Amino acid sequence: MDEMVDGKGGLRPHWRSLLGAFTALGEGGLKERAQRLDRAFEEEGVTSILPGTAAGELAWRCDPVPLPIPAGEFAALEAGLAQRARLIEAMLEDLYGRQSLLETGAVPPALVFGNAGFLRPLHLSHGPMPPAMGPRLGFYAADLVRGPDGCWRVLSDRTSDASGVGYARENRRLLARVLPEAFRPVTVRQLRPFFDIWQDQLQRLAPGGRTGPTVALLTPGTRHDQWFEHMFLSRELSCALVEGGDLTVRGGVVFIKTLRGLQRVDVLLRRVSGRLVDPLELDASQVGVPGLLDAQRAGTIHITNDPGTGLAEAPGFAAFLPALCERLLGERLALASVPTMWLGDEASRMTLMQDPQHWLVRPATDGNVHAVRLGQLQPVERAIMLRRIEQRPWDWAATASVDPSMAPCFDGERLSPRPVVMRVFLAHDGQDWRAMQGGLARVMEAHDELAGRLPRGGLSKDVWVLNEERGDIVGPPVVMAPPLKIRRASGDLPSRVADDLFWLGRYVERLERSARLVRAAVARLARGAALLPREISELQSLARCLAEAGCVSREAAAPAASSSLAEALLGTVRDGGAIHRHFAAASRLTESVRDRLTGDMYATFTQTLRAARADAGVVGRSLDGLSHAMVSILRYSTSVAGVAAESMVRGGGWLFLDLGRRIERAQAVAGEVAIAVDQQPSRIETGLRLVLELCDSAITYRSRYLDVLQPAPVLDLVLADQGNPRGLAFQLVSIHSLLDELGSPEEGREMLAGAAAGLLAEVEALVERVLGEPDQSVAAAALPPALAAIGTAVAGLSDRITRRYFALLPVAQTIGVADDDEGEEPHRAPDREADHVAEVVS
Amino acid sequence: MRYRVRHSTSYHYATPVDLSGHMTHLTPRALTGQRVIRAEVTTSPDPARTSVALDHFGNHVGWIFFDRPHERFEVTLLAEVEVGFPAPPDVSATMAWEEVARAAREAGPMAWQAAEFLFDSPMLPAEPAAGQFAATCFAPGRPILAALLELNGRIRREFSFKAGVTGVNTPVSRVLAQRAGVCQDFTHLMIAALRMHGIPARYVSGYLRTRPPPGQVARRGADQSHAWVGAWLGPAHGWIDLDPTNDLVVRDEHVVLAWGRDYSDISPVRGVILGGGRHGVSVSVDLEAL
Repeated sequence: MDEMVDGKGGLRPHWRSLLGAFTALGEGGLKERAQRLDRAFEEEGVTSILPGTAAGELAWRCDPVPLPIPAGEFAALEAGLAQRARLIEAMLEDLYGRQSLLETGAVPPALVFGNAGFLRPLHLSHGPMPPAMGPRLGFYAADLVRGPDGCWRVLSDRTSDASGVGYARENRRLLARVLPEAFRPVTVRQLRPFFDIWQDQLQRLAPGGRTGPTVALLTPGTRHDQWFEHMFLSRELSCALVEGGDLTVRGGVVFIKTLRGLQRVDVLLRRVSGRLVDPLELDASQVGVPGLLDAQRAGTIHITNDPGTGLAEAPGFAAFLPALCERLLGERLALASVPTMWLGDEASRMTLMQDPQHWLVRPATDGNVHAVRLGQLQPVERAIMLRRIEQRPWDWAATASVDPSMAPCFDGERLSPRPVVMRVFLAHDGQDWRAMQGGLARVMEAHDELAGRLPRGGLSKDVWVLNEERGDIVGPPVVMAPPLKIRRASGDLPSRVADDLFWLGRYVERLERSARLVRAAVARLARGAALLPREISELQSLARCLAEAGCVSREAAAPAASSSLAEALLGTVRDGGAIHRHFAAASRLTESVRDRLTGDMYATFTQTLRAARADAGVVGRSLDGLSHAMVSILRYSTSVAGVAAESMVRGGGWLFLDLGRRIERAQAVAGEVAIAVDQQPSRIETGLRLVLELCDSAITYRSRYLDVLQPAPVLDLVLADQGNPRGLAFQLVSIHSLLDELGSPEEGREMLAGAAAGLLAEVEALVERVLGEPDQSVAAAALPPALAAIGTAVAGLSDRITRRYFALLPVAQTIGVADDDEGEEPHRAPDREADHVAEVVS
Repeated sequence: MRYRVRHSTSYHYATPVDLSGHMTHLTPRALTGQRVIRAEVTTSPDPARTSVALDHFGNHVGWIFFDRPHERFEVTLLAEVEVGFPAPPDVSATMAWEEVARAAREAGPMAWQAAEFLFDSPMLPAEPAAGQFAATCFAPGRPILAALLELNGRIRREFSFKAGVTGVNTPVSRVLAQRAGVCQDFTHLMIAALRMHGIPARYVSGYLRTRPPPGQVARRGADQSHAWVGAWLGPAHGWIDLDPTNDLVVRDEHVVLAWGRDYSDISPVRGVILGGGRHGVSVSVDLEAL
């Protein structure tokens, strides 16, 4: 069947105005819009390169041609899906309760006991049942295809934590921007009301009807396929975005670890696989929260959807839904599944064997595995497959081969028909299930005919629910739930986010320092043998600074090793090199604080970083190229600083980003000045010149003192002048006021701020001393030990900040189930910890 | 027989653990043939929170949480239990093993709960080699109990009891290859072999009397947590417990704690700790006949 044209070659009425709008774009108009749409997706990060994925890898694109559905037709789908959601809720209620469906044979044990989604810890046989747990399902989605007969059927039920709703919303937002003309002639129903309903539902689910409850979305983190969606949802639903490590359970109550201490969580929107939510009772994992299920049983938190809901995603259930619907709801199943058989049933097996060509076969309890199309197998392979089925038939389900309807897609030049599958999303509003008035349609690729899990990318389409023009609207108008309660976003910064921002600040600054040092060294190396003695001495100091910064090895930095120094500098941007590593850290940290950045900020952060990485990637053996890449890095660090200063609210987030940066810079300035002035007093001038260059202060100096170079004025400018943003005093003053701003009068903070103030006084005294000496050169050359001590004190300050604000994050280890007799080292999360620990040491 | 049980598990951590949670299966089930006179689980240091329930299988499960730094954790069961499981049915009166398999597969009102123990479980994926190992015991039409008793004896004879050659996670294939292991390994092997033949089989954890009855050989695995097999004889005769480590039918030398699909369902003490560095664990078990 074709979505756009009817069997007689005529255009279906609901496509008319849409096609009219496309025609009006003129020659090449659609192509240009399609390109703009692609670009918008790339720039706003939906298809952005997540850490660890290569550019151009599978990503989501949006087709400029939407999939229109008349409102009446959509209302029928909504009613059918609402019934299915009620049915699944009732089925789960029984299977996690009395299990009468098993006892009476209405559901075969294989689909439950042989199902990895059946979480036994959530089925306590006779113990004290938890006080009114509330509904297991709060959110439900289904994949639908339309067959040749024009009827929509359900291909798969997504009952656990269906994804895609964020993509649907993003499709709509960008399409409306890029192709506004297409929306004008029709009334497309809005998506936003659905999120209001959902958000209100989450508030209502709080145990004991607590008012102003804290809702948190639990995500596996930035490396997860659906990270974008999790971040998007947390914003759309105004809830905190947390990882397992952000939560802690004390006394049967779940808390977020925030900078201000523990903040209670009432409702958890679960986006971590149900099997991974609690390593104490379920599978070992780093993304879960030990004790979460105990808190759930204690009734202090509502988890939605319930961790056990993945059970109902087993494809085999489809065969039993019609009978279950009669039994549990006393109704006929209104919206059928694509014909599906459970092969543990002998008659079904016979049907399959008689006509294997027409069936797709897949595991009965795992809807995320690709189906095998028996008709496409070689005879030998098919025989093997059929034998496997004969041996353990209860493990398998067969679904009739589907011929999905075709919808026009823009292929780059023209419209061509492609098979589509549509995902529709529903949330419970307290009385009934409500569908989002739209959905996520996608082109069905040859290999994912039955795939339940959303692939990592592909061509998607916005689904338009069209109000009929003649005013005879069938079905409910856009539903507004009962008046929304006033809610407050739970804004307290989780400790992990503060930690990540702090380290992002440090890495950005670290990149900048490395770039400045490398660029200065390359400029001198490029002159080859023509170096003046002064320049040779500068190069030696630079090499020491580079070694100090971890960019090159001490050997490469040794005097008279200029060829190996060049080689080492080129190595900094290669795989494993210091700058290469800093890039990776900065990009990972940016991703993990992405929900704290506006779209524009995120775009600036990532685009300039990507550009710098690209430039660094093509350096090869060219010192010129290296120099160019360093400029690119400086552009990145400057944009981060600029955007952060201009766009970030001066709350906790910005404070930590800036604090990281100031700490890093203070350490670097102290260290580099110490190395530069470590000269014979007679040659101190060379060192001073280098100091001004590294601190980007030469112009300021010249404007104040012309060409006369003396130690005290130079040191005053780079160490004690509180107005020089490249100088040490500026950093210490900033650190002091940032710590002061952190607010809450808690113990420790004043001590930290006091330490920063003490350091500032020390630095000022240092410069005073040089000024008072008869021979300033001798005094300056004697400074390195004192400067090194200040550098160490700043590092100590950083450690104390880390301990005070972030040290709530030890690593979990499981005991008693793994091979623990030997007392293994705890399994470290492959994430920030390891990195940070290493950095503190350096 | 009446026994006094003392089972103590203690963890020592190199650095203090800030926060920890433990889940225990440490309280004997009350059963036909097993009367629990008293049972008490004590914990040191004092926990911040505890809770108890009956799990999916009907076992007693307990949770223990700490939220203050601690360098050790000790949990002890003290119990007094009287056991006397009925004698097994007459071998020839039991169903042919194929009939048992069919009844389990059909999962009727008397069989649906047993059917749970047919399927793969976390530590026991389908293992054809285990099925082959046991195949000679399963001649067509043979009464199920005859097959079970032969298999129980073969494991005792053909495998050597050796501590340290396997760990908690050793797969059945490796146990088969090295023909050695401890009670958990033999139990897993026998369960895997039975499931390959369509016979519901479950993992039973508990204790074995420390000193053998007068005049009998020392039992294997007596001074630690013990494990054995529950096998289903069909709707009429229900479950029977067999100890392949000692080639015994469980009568009055064993005390049952809990059962599940495999060890992972009912590990006596498991936990998640935050911090702690390296840790050591020591376990002592004593089952004294009164």
